[in-house]
Amino acid sequence: MASHQEPFTPGGVEDASRDPPSPASPTASFYDMSDDEEGEYSTIRPSKTGKGVKLLYTKSKVYVHPTPSAKDNIPGYVALIQQKPGRTDSISSPPTSPGVGSSLGGRRSAETSSLLLAWVPESSLGAASEIYSKVDMFESDSPPKQSCLVPPPPITTTHSSSLGTYAFAVPLSEVFSVMVRPPNTGWWFGSIIINTRGGDSFPPLFFHDSECQSTIAQRRRLQRENFSIGAAETGGVFWGGDQVISWLKKYVNVERSGQEPSVFLIEPNEADKVSFGSGGKPTPDKVKNVLQGKHRDEPMQKKPQNPGDAVTKALTQARWNFLEKMAQVTTFTRRTAQNLAENKNIPPQVRRLMQDPQVQTVSDEFDSARLYLARWAMGIAEQSEKERSQRIWTAKDVLEMEESEVGEFEVLDMDSQGLSLADRRKPVTLKEWNSYFNSATGRLERTPDEVKERIFLGGLHEEDGARKEAWLFLLGVYEWDSTKEERHAKMNSLRDEYIRLKGAWWERMVDEQGTLEEREWWKEQKMRIEKDVHRTDRHIPLFAGEDIPHPDPDSPFAEAGTNVHLEQMKDMLLTYNEYNRDLGYVQGMSDLLAPIYAVEQDDAVAFWGFVGFMERMERNFLRDQSGMRLQLLTLDHLCQLLDPQLYDHLQKLDSTNFFFFFRMLLVWFKREFSFPDILRLYEGLWTDFLSANFHMFIAMAILEKHRNVILEHLKGFDEVLKYVNELSGTIDLQSTLVRAEGLFRRFQRVVEAIDKKSNFPAPTVRQRLPQPPSPSAAKPGADGRPRQGSSGGGAGAAASASASSSGRARMTTGDHVAAGVGAQKERVISPELRALLSRELPKLDKTEVRAHGGGVAS
Amino acid sequence: MSSRKKILLKVIILGDSGVGKTSLMNQYVNKKFSASYKATIGADFLTKEVLVDDRLVTMQLWDTAGQERFQSLGVAFYRGADCCVLVYDVNNAKSFDTLDSWRDEFLIQASPMDPESFPFVVLGNKVDVGDDKRVITSKRAQAWCQAKGGVPYFETSAKEGSNVEQAFEVIARNALAQEESQDFNPDFPETIPINIGEQNQGCSC
Ligand SMILES: Nc1nc2c(ncn2[C@@H]2O[C@H](COP(=O)(O)OP(=O)(O)OP(=O)(O)O)[C@@H](O)[C@H]2O)c(=O)[nH]1
Ligand SMILES: [Mg+2]
Repeated sequence: MASHQEPFTPGGVEDASRDPPSPASPTASFYDMSDDEEGEYSTIRPSKTGKGVKLLYTKSKVYVHPTPSAKDNIPGYVALIQQKPGRTDSISSPPTSPGVGSSLGGRRSAETSSLLLAWVPESSLGAASEIYSKVDMFESDSPPKQSCLVPPPPITTTHSSSLGTYAFAVPLSEVFSVMVRPPNTGWWFGSIIINTRGGDSFPPLFFHDSECQSTIAQRRRLQRENFSIGAAETGGVFWGGDQVISWLKKYVNVERSGQEPSVFLIEPNEADKVSFGSGGKPTPDKVKNVLQGKHRDEPMQKKPQNPGDAVTKALTQARWNFLEKMAQVTTFTRRTAQNLAENKNIPPQVRRLMQDPQVQTVSDEFDSARLYLARWAMGIAEQSEKERSQRIWTAKDVLEMEESEVGEFEVLDMDSQGLSLADRRKPVTLKEWNSYFNSATGRLERTPDEVKERIFLGGLHEEDGARKEAWLFLLGVYEWDSTKEERHAKMNSLRDEYIRLKGAWWERMVDEQGTLEEREWWKEQKMRIEKDVHRTDRHIPLFAGEDIPHPDPDSPFAEAGTNVHLEQMKDMLLTYNEYNRDLGYVQGMSDLLAPIYAVEQDDAVAFWGFVGFMERMERNFLRDQSGMRLQLLTLDHLCQLLDPQLYDHLQKLDSTNFFFFFRMLLVWFKREFSFPDILRLYEGLWTDFLSANFHMFIAMAILEKHRNVILEHLKGFDEVLKYVNELSGTIDLQSTLVRAEGLFRRFQRVVEAIDKKSNFPAPTVRQRLPQPPSPSAAKPGADGRPRQGSSGGGAGAAASASASSSGRARMTTGDHVAAGVGAQKERVISPELRALLSRELPKLDKTEVRAHGGGVAS
Repeated sequence: MSSRKKILLKVIILGDSGVGKTSLMNQYVNKKFSASYKATIGADFLTKEVLVDDRLVTMQLWDTAGQERFQSLGVAFYRGADCCVLVYDVNNAKSFDTLDSWRDEFLIQASPMDPESFPFVVLGNKVDVGDDKRVITSKRAQAWCQAKGGVPYFETSAKEGSNVEQAFEVIARNALAQEESQDFNPDFPETIPINIGEQNQGCSC
C-alpha cells in the first residue's frame, strides 16, 4: 500500500501547494493542476507539462484487435480519468467535489460528464507511461491518494472521431452501456464494448489478462484471501473487465440488464430499463439497437454449459448476430459486402471488417458469410490459445487442466523418471541418436520402445541428419537389433534388388512384354506417375524447376522439361509399381514418397523406406476402398464416443460419412501441414508408440479443435467439407500432437470405464482382441517389449485388417453403436474402436491385396 | 417467391485423372493457371456468381479425383446436380474412351428424374498442345456428343484460358434450365439441392 507514495521519475511526487505555476497549455479546457485544490493529496504528473487530467484507475495490456490477425493487435490502457469539472467544451455542469469516497447521491450529472472512460495506445503515452503503469499497479480499491496527472486524451463521443488511432475518451454521461464478455480460459480473451448514447460503439477492448501484471497480482491476492479466483462482477474467473465495471460502480449507477446479462447499463433512465425488459419478439427498435450494437438481439442462451463456454457464441455478439442474420437471408457477395461497408447503420468495426481485402477474396471464392465468420471466429480463438500457452498458472488452472485431457497427460507424464518433461519433448539429435548404439558393434543399447518414445515425443532433429538413419529403423528397413555390419549388408542387397526391379519394368517397357491388357496398364501407370510427380510438392526447392531436358520426346512434359529429382521420383514409383503389382501405383502415393526421398536423397534407400511405409498404407489404396471406408467408419465411432454433441450435429448435416476427412486419412495429412511439419508428424506416427492408428487421433484432434466453430456456424455438408478442406496450411502441429495424445488417453479411459461398467456379456469379438492396457500399462514395460504386442496385439491388428474385407458386416456393428449413443443406452466399444488400442501395425494380407488391389496381377 | 429465391446450381466435373478438371475450374473461377496444382484427393468445390440473362446465380463447381477407384466414395456429391461436365484430354485417347463410363456412372449414381434430358457438357481440353500430339479430332468428339442427344461440345485450354468462359456460360445456362424444370415438378420437391444460402430460417441461435 505504501509503495505508491514513493517518488519516481520522470514524473514526480509533489505537494500540489508547492508546485510552481505551469506554463500555459494549448489544451486549456482540461484539468489544470495548478489551480486545483488538491488538499492533502500529493500529485504525480509528467515533469514537462503541468496540465493534465487525473488518472483514477487504469489497466494495462488492454488491446484493440483491428483485424483478425494477432500481429495487428494494439496494446494500450483502459482508464477512468477525471477532468476538471465544468471545463469541457462539450458538457457543462457545475463543478462538484471530487468523487473519491463521496456519497453516491446528488452528484450524477456533474460527475458523469467530468469522468472519462478512455483507451489509449501504449505507443502514444510517452513519459506518461510510467504513471499509467504505476496507477495500474496500485493495489487498492480506491484511486491513488496522490493525484496522478497525465496528458488529456482526446475526448470523443463517437467512434468515428477516433478513427485511425483507436484512442478515445468518452464522458461517462455519454456512455449508454458496456457490454462485457468474460474470458474463456484457453479460448478467448475477455472483452468489453462501450456503447454510447448516440448509438455508436467503440471497438471491443480485449483484456490480455495473462500479460497484465495488475490482474495477475489481483488474482493472486483474491486467491490468497478467498481461496477462490472467482469474481463478483461478471462471473467466472476474475479478469480485467471486472475491474472496469467495479470502477464505474464507484461513480455511477451501473445496472446489469436482466435480459442481457452481458450488458451493463450506465445510469439507465426508466425508458432504457423498459426497453431492456421488453424481451420477446424483436421490434424494429430492437433490431435497430442490434445494428447499433446496443445489445444483443438474442434470446437468452439455452443455458451455458459451463461459465465461459460461451466461447464462439460471444464474439462481440451484437455484430456477430447481425452478420449471422445477413448470412441467413442472403449469400454474401462482394456486392453485399460493399453495401455493408457503406451502410451507416452498421457498427464501424464491422464496416471496416467488410472492407478488409481478405473478406472480399473469401467472398469471391465462396459466398457463404457463415463460412467466413466461422474462420474468423477460429482466428480469434486461436489467438487465445496462444495466450493459454503463455499463461501464468494458478491453482485453479492446474485443477482444470488435471480434469482436461491435456492436463491429465502432462500429469501422467511428469512422474516417469529419467529426462524431464521438457527434455523429452526436445528433438533427438544425431549425437543423442548415435549414443543409443554400441560404438563398436553398432547395436542398439536401448530398448526399441525407449527410442520410439523419445521420437514420438520429441521427433528427430531437422537438420543434423538424424532422420536419414533413424527413419530406416522406423520404416522397418533395418531391424532394431541389428549390428552396423548387418545393416550394411542388408543395404547392399537391397540396392541390388532395387536395381533388379528397376531393370524389370524397364525391359517390360522396351520389349513390350505381356498381354495387350498388361501393356496398356503399364503405359497408363507410367503416364499417371509422370503426371502426379510433376504435381507433387513442387514448391519444395528439391522438386522445383525444370533444368534438364525430358528424356522422352513423346511425354506431355517434353516441352516443359524436368529435373533430376522428379526423374528419380518417377523411377521409384515405377519400381514400386513393379514391386507390388497387386496394387500398383495409385494417386496419393507420390505424396507419401516425397518426404522419404527428400530425407534420404538416395533413390534405392528411399525406395525401400517407401516400401516400408506402404506396408501400413496399402489399405488406403485398394480398388474397393474398403480400407478407407473402415477408417472413416472408425472416425465415426470415435467421434460418437468422444464427442456425441458434435456427432449429433454432423448427423444433422448429413456429414457422418466423415468424407471431409478423406484426404487427411488417405495421405496422412500431407496436404494440411507444411513439409517440415509432415516430417515431424510422420516420424511420430511411425513409432506406433501409443497406437498403430495414432493418425486417427490426429484427425480427431483437428476435428475437436474446430468443434465449436462447426457446431455454431456450419449448416450443411458442403460447408463442412469446404471448411475442413481450407484448414490446410493453418493447423499448428505441436498443439495438435499434444491434443491427440490427450484424446488417446481419454479414449483409453473411456473404453476402460465402459468395460468395467458393462453388465452385459462381453461381445464375442472381444475374446480375440487384446484387453485395453490400463493407463499404467501404457508405459513401456521394464523389459522394453511392446506393451501388448506379441501377446494379444496381433489379434487386434488382424481384426482391423480383416475388417477391410468385411466392411459391410462391420457397418452393422457401427449402427448398433450409433443407436446406443443417442439414447444413452449401453455403449458397446466397436471392434473398430478397440483396434485403436493396438500398437501392432495393421498390415494387409497379400491375398487381400491381390483380391482388392486392382493392380495388374489381380 | 420462387423467382426471388437465391439460386444455387450444382455442377459436377468428371473425367480421367490429369485431363485438367482442377485447372479448368481454377481458370474459370480465379482466372489463372498454375502448372503446380496438386492431384485432387477427395473432393472440393469452388463457387462463382454469374448472371444468366438477368438472373444472378451461384455456381457450385465440384471437383473430384479422376482415378476411378476414388469415385466410389465421391458419388455422394452427384446427388442434386444440375449439370455434369465431362472432360477429356484431346491428346489422350484413353481419356476420351472413358467418357461413356463417366457418363453412365454419373447417371446411375445421381439418378436424375429424366436421364434422357439431363444436361451434360463435354470439354476437350489441352488444345494448346501441338497438333502433332493431338489424337482425338473435333469431328470424332462431336459425333460422340451428337449420339448422346446433342450434348454441347467445347474445345478448351485451361492453360491459355481459351473458350473456358464460353463453355461455362453454356454450363450455367443449361444448369439453370435444369434447376428450373425441377422446381416446377411437384412430384419431386426433394430434388432441389441443398442451398447454402437457405432462405430466412430465422435465427435459431
Ligand atoms: N498444356 C496444357 N496442360 C494442362 C491444361 N490443363 C491442365 N494441364 C496440365 O495437366 C495436368 C493435370 O491437370 P489437373 O487440372 O491437375 O488435372 P485433373 O483433371 O484435375 O486431375 P486429377 O485431380 O488427378 O483428377 C497438370 O500438369 C496441368 O498443368 C491445358 O489446358 N493445357
Ligand atoms: Mg484435379
